Amino acid sequence: MPTDSSAFLTALRLADSSLPVGSYTASYGIEQYANEGLLEEVSDLRAVVEAYLERVVGPCETVAVANAHAASADGDLDGVLAVDERLHAVTLPREFRESSTRAGGQFCDLLLAAADGEAVAPAYATAVEAGTTPGHYAVCFGVYTQAAGLECEVACLTQGYAFLVSLLGAAQRLGRFGHTDVQSVLESTLPVLEEVCARHVETPLGEMGAFAPFAEAMGMRHERATRRLFMS
Amino acid sequence: MGYRDVAKIGIGGPVGSGKTALVKHLVPDLVDLGYEVGVIANDIMTQEDADVLRRAFAETVPEDLVRGVETGACPHTGIREDPSMNLAAIDEFTEWNPDLDVVIVESGGDNLAATFNPELADYFVFVISVAEGEDIPRKRGPGVTQADLLVVNKTDLAPYVDADLEVIDRDTREVRGGDPYVFTDCKSGQGIPTVREHIERVLFA
Ligand SMILES: Nc1nc2c(ncn2[C@@H]2O[C@H](COP(=O)(O)OP(=O)(O)OP(=O)(O)O)[C@@H](O)[C@H]2O)c(=O)[nH]1
Ligand SMILES: [Mg+2]
Repeated sequence: MPTDSSAFLTALRLADSSLPVGSYTASYGIEQYANEGLLEEVSDLRAVVEAYLERVVGPCETVAVANAHAASADGDLDGVLAVDERLHAVTLPREFRESSTRAGGQFCDLLLAAADGEAVAPAYATAVEAGTTPGHYAVCFGVYTQAAGLECEVACLTQGYAFLVSLLGAAQRLGRFGHTDVQSVLESTLPVLEEVCARHVETPLGEMGAFAPFAEAMGMRHERATRRLFMS
Repeated sequence: MGYRDVAKIGIGGPVGSGKTALVKHLVPDLVDLGYEVGVIANDIMTQEDADVLRRAFAETVPEDLVRGVETGACPHTGIREDPSMNLAAIDEFTEWNPDLDVVIVESGGDNLAATFNPELADYFVFVISVAEGEDIPRKRGPGVTQADLLVVNKTDLAPYVDADLEVIDRDTREVRGGDPYVFTDCKSGQGIPTVREHIERVLFA
């Protein structure tokens, strides 16, 4: 998986938590785990994060990035729109959909709308802007990284890494986890991310779907939470 | 229509300095002057807080123009490094209310270094209170020195917290270097018309 230096730098830029797309406002249910006392020990955090990788990042987000990347490479706008529609349908908690589409909208504004005029990117950005497609972050990400010359698997790893770091950041701000603990969870879950991306980079769109009922229940209960620092 | 098409006022300042109290005065005043106003508050903690916020403006602002935006326990990130979620909320306001003139964004209570991103606020008001200590202006926090307008609130409390308003006035004048500041008492409303005049002069000239 060799990658040229400009693609590498683009990957770093996209995985950087300073990318202004509001990821720090999304916890994807982590806040509710904390609210309900389910995130006390480092082992709880590791288990929850691994489950997200296995059940959401792999079978949903990675499949979305990879299929959007492939459709974009084929110049297939309808294919990209189909990925967006499917991801919207399989993301059950309302707040998860909102966090993803708000970040996607910002990503479009910031990067996609200005991407190469020949590519699918600007047409897709126009559809997101017009509200005719939801504009999920993973789909925007797949389209943009294809136009920017990132290999599909690199794109999936980059998106997965950014998601992982953002979950851990939310957990750290909510719980009583030290920075070394958080880094140790990150280190031990990176191989899981690698494995999950490799497993799902070629999963066809028709098989996209999360199985994370507990996380989804947390995401739904968060809407009526007694404490809300995060949007999801 | 989008966030670039409306005037945006950012209200920042430490926890409890009187940001919400100021917004509660300004909103009806601006509505009376004929402006269509939207209100965003950051770091709403529960749905109940959001309801309290909506009720506070129930007489003056339509429900869909009052919104809490959570900032993931990073209030300064929400107004400075990455205001994207506030901008997204303003975009939604403008989508449904094309006649919108101005949006007031109240930051979550933060420290003296928390300034507004110029893309989020055309006019940045920083609110401190005399009850936080007479020496606040002297610390020269970026909020105090860089805001378009500094509001020194709770002047009514000065005698109870051993704060000398003359000292605060002298220090504030020095650190502001000629930029405007206003003393207010949000309880009685003293000073509020001056704040409103500053905002009007700059935003709606
Ligand atoms: N005596 C006095 N009390 C005030 C004044 N302004 C605000 N307060 C009170 O101070 C308290 C905090 O005011 P808020 O307006 O909620 O402060 P805030 O800056 O919005 O606080 P956060 O949003 O929590 O950071 C409330 O109890 C207000 O009634 C004032 O000028 N004088
Ligand atoms: Mg307030």
